[in-house]
Amino acid sequence: MTDSARAGWAFAAPGLTMLTIVMGLPVLYAAAMSLSSMTFLRPALHITGLGNFIEIMSEPLFWSSLGLTLRYSLSTVAGEFLVGLTIALMLRQVVSLRGVYFAVLTLPMAMAPVAVALIWRMLLQPNLGIVNQTLSGLGLPIVDWLGDPHLALKTMIFIDIWQQTSFVILLLSAGLTSLPREPYEAAEVDGAGPVQQFWYITLPLLRPVAMIAVVIQLINEFRTYDLVYILTRGGPGNSTELLSYFAYQRAFKGLALNEGSAAAFILLLIVLLITVVFFFLLERRKT
Amino acid sequence: MKKTFIFLTLSAVASLWGGSAMAQGITLHALMEDVPETAIIEKMLPEFEKKTGITVRFEKVGYGDMHDKLVPQLVSGKSYYNLLEVDFLWAGEFPAAGWLENLKPYAEKSGFDTSVFIPSTMKLLGDTKDAMPLIPMYNYSMGLIYRTDLLRDPTLKAEYKKQTGQDLEVPKTLAEYVKIAKFMKAQGKVDGAAMQGQKGDPNSMEFSNYLFSAGGEYLNADNKVVLDSEAGKTALGLYKDAINNAAQTGALSATLDDTMRLMCAGDAFSMVTYWWMLPQIDNAKSCPNVAGKVALTVMPGGHGESGGWGWGIPKNIPQDEKDAAWKFIIWVQSKDVAVARALEGHAPVRADVYTDPKVLAKFPFYKEAMQVVESGKSFPIFTYSAQYEDTLGTQLSLAASGEKSVPDALSAAAAGLSDLMKK
Repeated sequence: MTDSARAGWAFAAPGLTMLTIVMGLPVLYAAAMSLSSMTFLRPALHITGLGNFIEIMSEPLFWSSLGLTLRYSLSTVAGEFLVGLTIALMLRQVVSLRGVYFAVLTLPMAMAPVAVALIWRMLLQPNLGIVNQTLSGLGLPIVDWLGDPHLALKTMIFIDIWQQTSFVILLLSAGLTSLPREPYEAAEVDGAGPVQQFWYITLPLLRPVAMIAVVIQLINEFRTYDLVYILTRGGPGNSTELLSYFAYQRAFKGLALNEGSAAAFILLLIVLLITVVFFFLLERRKT
Repeated sequence: MKKTFIFLTLSAVASLWGGSAMAQGITLHALMEDVPETAIIEKMLPEFEKKTGITVRFEKVGYGDMHDKLVPQLVSGKSYYNLLEVDFLWAGEFPAAGWLENLKPYAEKSGFDTSVFIPSTMKLLGDTKDAMPLIPMYNYSMGLIYRTDLLRDPTLKAEYKKQTGQDLEVPKTLAEYVKIAKFMKAQGKVDGAAMQGQKGDPNSMEFSNYLFSAGGEYLNADNKVVLDSEAGKTALGLYKDAINNAAQTGALSATLDDTMRLMCAGDAFSMVTYWWMLPQIDNAKSCPNVAGKVALTVMPGGHGESGGWGWGIPKNIPQDEKDAAWKFIIWVQSKDVAVARALEGHAPVRADVYTDPKVLAKFPFYKEAMQVVESGKSFPIFTYSAQYEDTLGTQLSLAASGEKSVPDALSAAAAGLSDLMKK
């Protein structure tokens, strides 16, 4: 090992130690719990193997929660990306009051998800909420936003997009600002229109930033818990029971820390897999 | 200068030590639900502290956070909370886990008379011949709150008679109740029933009233699951009918707060709810549209869901703290204190408080309230009661939204109960 490598490790050591303590150890402990017979009623940590994983994976509710989580995450990220990119492109054209636009657009991001859920719960309240009152005032039928099993997940997706798009706008705006001017000037000389410039210059150059935005949001969405807890508690039926809520239910309602940890660990593995694939794609592109 | 500084420092240190020596009495820490009952007791704490020298501190949180905060303390080496407020839904789990002191020897030693409590409130909290894990604190049995003005309305009376051939009056059976609620909604002025159909605790508690009203049970005398009975099917069929044809739009995602707002605004004919909601609705300040126009009755069919909170003492605390907690429990549940609490709006668990002349003079409806409490039946109390609420709630939600048939949902709910009881 060279001197500079040794110095690098020495400088990184305090940070790595802290990370190991505050992140590595809890993850290892959760992994141990997921392989044990530990429950709130029998809190001793006896390793028993993969039984908890087999147990939860044999339940239809687990697979339905996993399916819903995939649907939810992909829909929200797609929505956030499309809306975020559109707004970021529009903001690129704005010259005056840019700061004001950004301040307003990032407000939802600054709010706690629990507060967002509570606000939307009031807005969408079927009888007294302002959304249905408006519909009713316009002579339109009122809608059961969170009580209709075919609509509840879509409503949650909409609320999530409303809150999380700000982050995508910020990232993509930063990416757009850093794009070089030369390719655009050359394209203009060659007679390329705005649409061609977008497809052949903006999108390819923006791809690394866009991928980062997508992967960060995917990780966020896979972990969604607050919205489910406040808005629907997984209902009606199981129509909004995402995997994180399933894990919570197992651990704290079912008192089975081991099964809850197993479900949470599966969630972690999925998120890890997405991250690894993303970095692989990014690296391959670089080389 | 140096000497002055040392003197001042030593004085400050000495005063700190002196201060702590003066406050050496035991401090009881209780995690309490942030509801009016807690506020009523909290106001009376100085009286207890003056009498005993024991300090009591309440940490108030929402119901949803209580279980998650209590359990880690109870499994730890020493619980920070040395006085417990325990919901009846945890009255199976906490003793089964060995977290609670048996309060029977405490009661015997101190001569505390537990026969003053309404039997259903004791049974609800896991009282048996050998063990008494909890002492009743307050009650939240459920009954039917309805609009008297609508029931007396001559036009509605005539129309109901014309449509059904029956008189419009307080329903005696569950089927009659659902029929009246549907009729009220069909008239277009109000919703027939303000219902809390959100999956989990809200719809499980609400449905339990329908089940007991229809003559059904969760368990028979031998603790065998009998939910999947004809009475159960009738109850769930009527529950589904009420959600779809009598309740407000959005009933499947509604909670207690939503139903309260609806009833308070005068937009609903009835609600199946906790009996002590009546004074909150029958209140000219907060609910002017319905004040003086509402009444309480036992669920049609004679039985509703019973619920309540109890006081407990954790095992993992020192004996002197256990003794202090017991002192507090017998003080707060004594006749005088319970009457004083009732005059502030407490939901009593002692029979002698319901019949106390001062209490009845202030709240005449406590006569009906006592009937609601006495006739109440309990949700199954076992280690996994809280989890069962979700299992049952899911099936109720699926049946009510038409995603599953009534027999299939009921059968799944019964199987879920059997499985959890075997666990």
